[in-house]
Amino acid sequence: MGIRRNGHVLRAAAALLAAGTAALSAAACGIADAGESSIVHKSELTIGVNTDQPGLGASSGGTYSGFDIDVAREVARRLGVGGSHVRFEPVTSKSRESVIEKGKVDLVVASYSITPERKLKVAFAGPYYVAHQDVLVRASDASSVKNVHDLAGKRLCRVTGSVSYTRVHDELGVAALPADAGGYTACLDGLTSGRLDAISTDDLILAGLAAKAVREGHKVQVVNAPFSDEPYGIGLRKDDVDGCEKVNKVLTKMYQDGTLPKLLHKWFDPANLKVTTTVPQFEGCDEA
Amino acid sequence: MTAVQQAPAGPPGAPSGRAAGAPGGEAPPPERPSARRLRRAAPAEPSGIARALPRTVAGRVRALTAAVAVVLVALLVVAWAAIADARDGVKVIGKDAGPQVVATGDMYFQLSDMDAQLANALLAGAAPGGGRDQALARYDQDRQRAGVALLKAAKLADETTEDDTARELLDGIGRYERLASQALLLDRQSGRTSGQPPKQVLDLYRQATDMMKLDLLPKAYNLTLDNGTLVRHTYEDKRSDVRSGALWVIVTGIVLLAVLLGLQGYLARRFRRLLNPALAVATLGALVLVAACAAMLYGQAGDLRRAKEQGFDPILSLSRARAISNSANADETRFLLDPARADTYEQVYLNKSQTVLYLKAGNLDEYNAAVQKGLPVEQGRAPFLGFLGAEANRTEDLARPVDTEDALKRVLADYQKVQANDHRMRALADGGQKAQAAAARSAATADFTRYDQDMQSLIGIHWTAFQDAVKDGEHGTGGWYGVLPAAGVVIVALALAGVRPRLAEYRWQR
Repeated sequence: MGIRRNGHVLRAAAALLAAGTAALSAAACGIADAGESSIVHKSELTIGVNTDQPGLGASSGGTYSGFDIDVAREVARRLGVGGSHVRFEPVTSKSRESVIEKGKVDLVVASYSITPERKLKVAFAGPYYVAHQDVLVRASDASSVKNVHDLAGKRLCRVTGSVSYTRVHDELGVAALPADAGGYTACLDGLTSGRLDAISTDDLILAGLAAKAVREGHKVQVVNAPFSDEPYGIGLRKDDVDGCEKVNKVLTKMYQDGTLPKLLHKWFDPANLKVTTTVPQFEGCDEA
Repeated sequence: MTAVQQAPAGPPGAPSGRAAGAPGGEAPPPERPSARRLRRAAPAEPSGIARALPRTVAGRVRALTAAVAVVLVALLVVAWAAIADARDGVKVIGKDAGPQVVATGDMYFQLSDMDAQLANALLAGAAPGGGRDQALARYDQDRQRAGVALLKAAKLADETTEDDTARELLDGIGRYERLASQALLLDRQSGRTSGQPPKQVLDLYRQATDMMKLDLLPKAYNLTLDNGTLVRHTYEDKRSDVRSGALWVIVTGIVLLAVLLGLQGYLARRFRRLLNPALAVATLGALVLVAACAAMLYGQAGDLRRAKEQGFDPILSLSRARAISNSANADETRFLLDPARADTYEQVYLNKSQTVLYLKAGNLDEYNAAVQKGLPVEQGRAPFLGFLGAEANRTEDLARPVDTEDALKRVLADYQKVQANDHRMRALADGGQKAQAAAARSAATADFTRYDQDMQSLIGIHWTAFQDAVKDGEHGTGGWYGVLPAAGVVIVALALAGVRPRLAEYRWQR
């Protein structure tokens, strides 16, 4: 009779042990799950990119090209994800945060400036380059426009939805005249046809436009008088600190072994843009 | 020995029902329906694992006692390992890597201050009392300290990329020094006593300051970030080890208590005694041991968190804020020193200010207006971001050092003054009053110094919190390596003392 009771006790102990083990392994699984959703462990990557910025991120007929695209491919490769396992997904300035938050893309490499507001929603590795707002003019005007203040009285392209014009006109107080356009490619047409005098946006975008103009037989020039810092970061899910640190390591390596300087020269030398070839100051992954 | 196989640590879900019904010859307790069900399900002959269970009373007592010993040893091993993790974590964060990373964080400050002092020396000119010698003395001091910090950072580096960064940094400092000494030499040879330095001097200074800004400072910053990663990984690994260690202590502790109670219950029924005092004391002792050990381990996890989140993290981020403020302060000098680049330096000043304390603003006028509107710290919901915003939100944490809020408010008030001074200086410069602007700049030095001092005392508060947490962590585990084996011996001795007289009654059985 006592023996049977004893059996109950043993059974209870066994059950307790089993329950404890189950609880622990559940906890362990939870940790493992969090780790596995980091981009560090993925065998395929979806990367959000721009498709409408020649020289940075552009697509035609399903092939993507540009500096951002090359950087994205190289980062993915060094994360252990080869060519065919990388999928590009077009993103817009508006959608960038939400596609990361919803997990539709793993990384965003799309002339994505790091700002304190955006850092509340996503994590940023990098910056992989610090772009600067600059000015593009016809080569014939280059001698009269030496910096942004010389734009006073000139017709400056104003693109709907872009803050570049506001920054020159309102924030720097330069009395430029607005010349509206639907996008930067339209701005370039206006510049070469003489409908407007200057385009102002990030120098990397200007370099792409300049290269395009040169291909089409026009003479334009980047002024090389930067007046803002635009740190281009690689966006990731906010809690993927491991992934962020890993990408930073990859970017450091890409500067150290000359890969990134090579890409910068490849894409921006044709436009005579002076690029910085040393590693930028990173944002850090676990800072608020 | 059968006892070992029978220990509850054996496969959970073992056919305990069968085990219960195994000695089928005995009378079943009729008042228990579950037992009756079990008996029906179980065949009369024991099979499988049940065959390995001892069938005699003495055997079962021995087996249960052995189980107590086995589970107790498991408990002690688990607790020992968790304590070792806790001690290791406290050591790495509190004594080794943590403080060293903090030291390398100062490298950014020293490098940017070197550049600031070079600008001061050039702006001062050779006029006696102009402050050139002072600036150069501070420059030398900065360089020395930066060298020490760089050595530490290189020692901490655990990957080739970090090693390479440290090496490139060393090389870069050498190149910077060459440019700096060329600029100083040329400036001396120009025979100028005050006023704008000649163009060649400015050109050299531009090269030097560009190199500092684009090459050296980013690398120094990234190196500290990398080192910080090291600390974060240790922290997360050790903290989760300690927490799961505590959980394991509780689980094995519950098993131990269950076995002890089982033994107690078995003896009570089998020998018709109410209570076995020695066993009861052993059970109570085990309960106290498990509770105290688990509480201590959770306390350790808490100490680690406090050291990291209220010590290490804020120290590192506030040190950065201080360094960036200092280099922004130098950008005011550069703004006056090099009018051709005044726009760039103004923009850079805005960027740096926004890194330290972010408020949405497109230019310095807007920024200053926003800053002067007030910087309230309301229960951790500060309306601004950046390093100081993160610090303000840290006051939400209940584990924060109590006096951070006041210290932060002082820093913010100082910051408003610094920005107001900047605004005044730029207004004078824009109005063409160069001399007055330079005078306003000198007059503002005291306010900036106060800001820097208050910033340092805020960092100091976190440093104290850090050391306190580390000290608590060290004291928390103190003595446990002695307590564990002693408690183990006492509990086993008590259990044996409780079981021995009963076994004596059964000597004849085996």
